[in-house]
Amino acid sequence: MSIKEQGYTHWDGELAPGRFPWKPITRYGIKLTFKRKFFKPFFFMTLLPAVVFLAGIFISERIQDFEFMIKGSSTPFTVNPGYFYTYFTSVLFMIVLILVFAGSGLISDDLKHNALQLYFSRPLKKKDFFTGKVAVIVFFLFIITLVPGLILFIMKLVFSGSFQFVRSFPWLPLSIIGFSVFITGFFACYALFLSALSKNRRYVSIMIFGLYIFSDILFGIFYGIFRKPYFCLLSIKANLQQVGKLIFSQKPLYDVSPWYSILVLCLFCFLAVLFLSHKVRGVEIVK
Amino acid sequence: MNTVIETDKLSKWYGNVLGLSDVSLKIKPGITGILGPNGAGKSTFLKLITGQIKPNIGTVRLLGQKIRNNYCLMSKIGFCPEQDAFFDEMTGWEFVTGLLKLNGMSNDEVRSRAKDSLEIVELINDKDRVIRSYSRGMRQRLKIAQAIAHKPEIIILDEPLNGLDPLGRRKIIRLIKEYKTEGKTIIISSHVLPEIEAITKKIILIHQGKIFAQGDIHYIRDLIESHPHMISINCSDPRKLAAKFIHKDFVLNVNFGTSQDSLLVETNNRDKFFGLLPSLFVEEKIDVFSITSPDDNLQAVFDYLIGS
Repeated sequence: MSIKEQGYTHWDGELAPGRFPWKPITRYGIKLTFKRKFFKPFFFMTLLPAVVFLAGIFISERIQDFEFMIKGSSTPFTVNPGYFYTYFTSVLFMIVLILVFAGSGLISDDLKHNALQLYFSRPLKKKDFFTGKVAVIVFFLFIITLVPGLILFIMKLVFSGSFQFVRSFPWLPLSIIGFSVFITGFFACYALFLSALSKNRRYVSIMIFGLYIFSDILFGIFYGIFRKPYFCLLSIKANLQQVGKLIFSQKPLYDVSPWYSILVLCLFCFLAVLFLSHKVRGVEIVK
Repeated sequence: MNTVIETDKLSKWYGNVLGLSDVSLKIKPGITGILGPNGAGKSTFLKLITGQIKPNIGTVRLLGQKIRNNYCLMSKIGFCPEQDAFFDEMTGWEFVTGLLKLNGMSNDEVRSRAKDSLEIVELINDKDRVIRSYSRGMRQRLKIAQAIAHKPEIIILDEPLNGLDPLGRRKIIRLIKEYKTEGKTIIISSHVLPEIEAITKKIILIHQGKIFAQGDIHYIRDLIESHPHMISINCSDPRKLAAKFIHKDFVLNVNFGTSQDSLLVETNNRDKFFGLLPSLFVEEKIDVFSITSPDDNLQAVFDYLIGS
């Protein structure tokens, strides 16, 4: 029955926020990504390196069964932190391609469709909005970094049948988690930042892919001319490799402290967050 | 009646551009029309009262609470933006349910409320069509559906009748009027005066970022002393009637229309004029066909106030 008294207010209780207000944004983002053309086959393809590295672990533990394959090889085939580092750096390119599908439209689509004002006229904080968007990237990147990393570690123990590997490298699970989180955090900022630059998802896709490649080319050019390893700080890939070397206790790839790479990547993330918090607001700004 | 929305010295600038200046008002339940030409500050006002932008000066209180950064209060507001805000590849159903989920409702509740709201705006049969295939009117109704779906106390509609055909317009006007009877507070902005006039008599006139007038349209008209009221009378003997008026000090001007039976009178005291008019008709035995006030409408009030 309708209420005819105009002064009536229907509800007078305490207003409480929902527990995970960002969840619908994440769910929708993931759903939309899977709807994209060619994404599903591509996504399963990104899991292939994990399968290859898993086979590598199996071979290393059953080396006597595979001697015919490694005949003549000067270096013995061993699984160590470097092996895990190699896995992570080998999927960097895959990650960028995943971002092209999953990250490019995250904010640009909202800007294109004026959806921000609808989001922010709901009980949703800016923090929740970003959490929802970041969670989409976290979902996809963890599937090709953290999850396979930990599975490879566990399978190493299973195939070896002893805890010798854990005793030798007790910190390795933490390195796997740490590097996965670092890569994911950086690429989340990277994708969201570029996604907020344009309303056109295609331009953003090009930027995500192009900037990654271009930064590496730039490093190659400057390094070729000046022969200074410090130019590796210009390359996203080289910086991530340096950080990976540090986290997996390996000798740095270039003769530069990996801490500089961490600094460069963190600075990029900081600037990206600043830009995003300025760019993402409920209404258009009149100038 | 409770004050639902209260603003105090609300001001907003966009760089050097003035969006809104020193707006203090109280809005009570019922329908309130925000009226003003394009760029007057209507959308700025609506965005300020929904907490989407921060005022440079002043405060906004909704249901007695500060709106800015009070995210929980957003569940009490339904906002229908002026611009289209759709993901074209979504269906109408996905759009409404997706936004409802942001209100933290359970799946069952989301489904039932989405169904209710789409029924209200008569889109339930088209709910599974992608928004891209919707007409302009359907899109407008879908925007309204998402604004009312979570059953908010306060419904804010920014230019909801823009670009609609007369049929679509009538549907939305009826819908808004129905909501009024449920004790909701509805704020509707428009730059098209007859639209607002068809919906409510309670208006706020905004021009150049300032509130020019607030209240009942006829009350505001009475306050404008610089412009005498015009009254058009169609009767059997306009000249006889004019002769009677000419001696009255509250009658400022008398004109005869192009047709034989019309008379246009300007008065600075409408009450006295209408108090006298029936007795004159009786005494002089004049047949009256029609009496109208051509400038007692929103358009005239608006024109007088902004000086156009």
